[in-house]
Amino acid sequence: MVPSFRRRVCALSALILFSATGCAGAAISGSGDADTGGPLKIGVIVPLTGPVGQSGTALRQGFELGVAKVNDAGGIGGKQVEFVVADDAGDPANSTQLARRLIQQDKVSVLFGTITGDTADAVTKVSDDHRIPFFTAILGDPERCSAYQWRFGESTRQLLTPMLPWLLQQHGARVAIVGSDYNYPHLYAGLAKELTQAGGGTVVAEEYSPLGQTDWQPVITRLKAANPDVLLSMVVGADAIAFSQQAQQFGLLTPELGFEGAPLDADYHPALSALTTGRRHAVRWADGMPDPASRRFVADYRAKYQWNQPIPEVAGNAYFGIQFVLAAAAKAGSDPVAINREVGSLRFDSPLGAGTHFAPENHILQADMSAVTISPDGYPVTAKFGPVADTVPREGC
Amino acid sequence: MDVLLAILSQFGLYGLLTVGIATVFAALRVVNLAHCDFAMIGAYAAATLIGFPFGWRVVLVLGATIPLLVVIERVLLRRSRADGLGSMLVTWGVGMALRQLAEVSFGATPRSVTAPVDGSVTVFGASGPAYRLVCSLIAVAVIGLVLLAAHRTRWGLTLRAVADNPSMAGLLGTDPNRLRTTAFVAGGLLAVLAGALYSPTLAVSPTMGFSLLVPVFFALLFSRPGSLATAALAALGVSALAVLLRTRLSDVVADALFYVVVFGIAAARSRPSIRRFFSWSRRFAVGSARSPR
Repeated sequence: MVPSFRRRVCALSALILFSATGCAGAAISGSGDADTGGPLKIGVIVPLTGPVGQSGTALRQGFELGVAKVNDAGGIGGKQVEFVVADDAGDPANSTQLARRLIQQDKVSVLFGTITGDTADAVTKVSDDHRIPFFTAILGDPERCSAYQWRFGESTRQLLTPMLPWLLQQHGARVAIVGSDYNYPHLYAGLAKELTQAGGGTVVAEEYSPLGQTDWQPVITRLKAANPDVLLSMVVGADAIAFSQQAQQFGLLTPELGFEGAPLDADYHPALSALTTGRRHAVRWADGMPDPASRRFVADYRAKYQWNQPIPEVAGNAYFGIQFVLAAAAKAGSDPVAINREVGSLRFDSPLGAGTHFAPENHILQADMSAVTISPDGYPVTAKFGPVADTVPREGC
Repeated sequence: MDVLLAILSQFGLYGLLTVGIATVFAALRVVNLAHCDFAMIGAYAAATLIGFPFGWRVVLVLGATIPLLVVIERVLLRRSRADGLGSMLVTWGVGMALRQLAEVSFGATPRSVTAPVDGSVTVFGASGPAYRLVCSLIAVAVIGLVLLAAHRTRWGLTLRAVADNPSMAGLLGTDPNRLRTTAFVAGGLLAVLAGALYSPTLAVSPTMGFSLLVPVFFALLFSRPGSLATAALAALGVSALAVLLRTRLSDVVADALFYVVVFGIAAARSRPSIRRFFSWSRRFAVGSARSPR
């Protein structure tokens, strides 16, 4: 009887391992004729299913509206821009396979999308091999720069440079950092420490926890013991909700404590607005931006997708980002190498800033940053930081 | 005292889930891989039925889940019962279906639930959220009632008899189909209750059950098949180990060490000499329990 029980548990362990290694399928949606001499064709690789499916869907929707805007104005070279959407389910193995398929079978000239860093890295390798430009719209910093990858999302330096001094001034000099235990939160913490010290502050606690944590009491107890004035959180996904809720329940997250990081993003607003309302948050784009182009995008997005919640920032980055790419394609034609060259030198005006352009040292978009004050309804802009540069060179460019 | 309250809270969650899955295993001899996804159903009910008071949300979801559990057991598991591994794969499919259904219905974005009890309480000098203590105590009370039912009622006696020897129990007049259904429903309801009760402390998402699977299965591995009391004790041990390691060490180190300790215990238990020791201990325990009579 006992050995039989053990056999079942062993079989179970194998199943869990099988699942953890990720065997999700992928699907291609939409199609277009492969024609190198035809209209410009773009391959969009996004996770429409899986844990980050909501962000992937927001990116796709922002992208679609951006392409529709250009097509409504006549398209590129008198032809309508086409695109093919592929769901990678957030799995880098799918991303690699789909990137190859889009380039080789669908003959796309440009790749766009991805949410997580590992899927972006997977597509970057393929795009570099085939010399096809690849654009991302989510915030964050890959460790390496690539000749054919360009990032419309804000870098960590652009995110923290204008916000951290304000937090130190308003709340105090003792900074605590907490994050999920993977590459990006460690990178975020490294830069936060550098900027905190430069601003005269001290990092008094630094905590990381594996993804999937349900009980945050030990971490919160250690953070409370450090008596911080400011808490920077790069706890992500569902953990961001559990951590923020428990931090408030245990008395760490008080109105007096400065709080900035991933839990303040629009993606978490439906779950955490009660905790984040009234707090200041640095953004590149927000649905409360007052310029006419943003207001039109917000109205179109809400009408087309029946969306009543705050619009995720990645949707705005994708909307204005693809217009930047198509402006480059209007000058360069549909040749991928020519588009890549043109993107590197183009200056483009949009609500993301006047004369936005990519830094040649790191392929990060040099654009404006703003501060929003979170309200129950959305993310109204309450301060403009103006252009925030990040020209720190990255290896590979 | 902080540590004891943390262990109590963790035990409430893991204990409800482990006793539930152990109940199902005792009657069906199936490791229910969808078990923690039933907790997700409870949590989503707490997150979405916001027109009702929190207590009513719990009652409503418990009542509404009973037909679902009956259908799963009678339609899906009864056909594959002859093959234990086949049944386990069926439950894996049920879990996947429930997760997909939740994602389609509610989206992938995690949700939160407002705690029905605000504020904090101080117990022997240790302060913590009041609701955390309330839901821990309710969970421990429910676990106690289930153990009482297992050892002091006719249903519990039948369950233990089927767990020990299903063929003999059948020959002695037990209706195995009825018992399997009631055990599957009872075990599943414990998971739904755990998800609903603890939803204000967790993020409610389609995949939330998956992160609860590992500790619950470790606890099941350390329990004796058919003995709900050892399942509860194993859940207490897993909770205490996780909390103590994370109190003393950073989360990253504690998490790695947790698996080292758990696998070490599992490996040690599988050694013949240690298995014989446990077997003898049980004989002495049974003997001493019988001797006063």
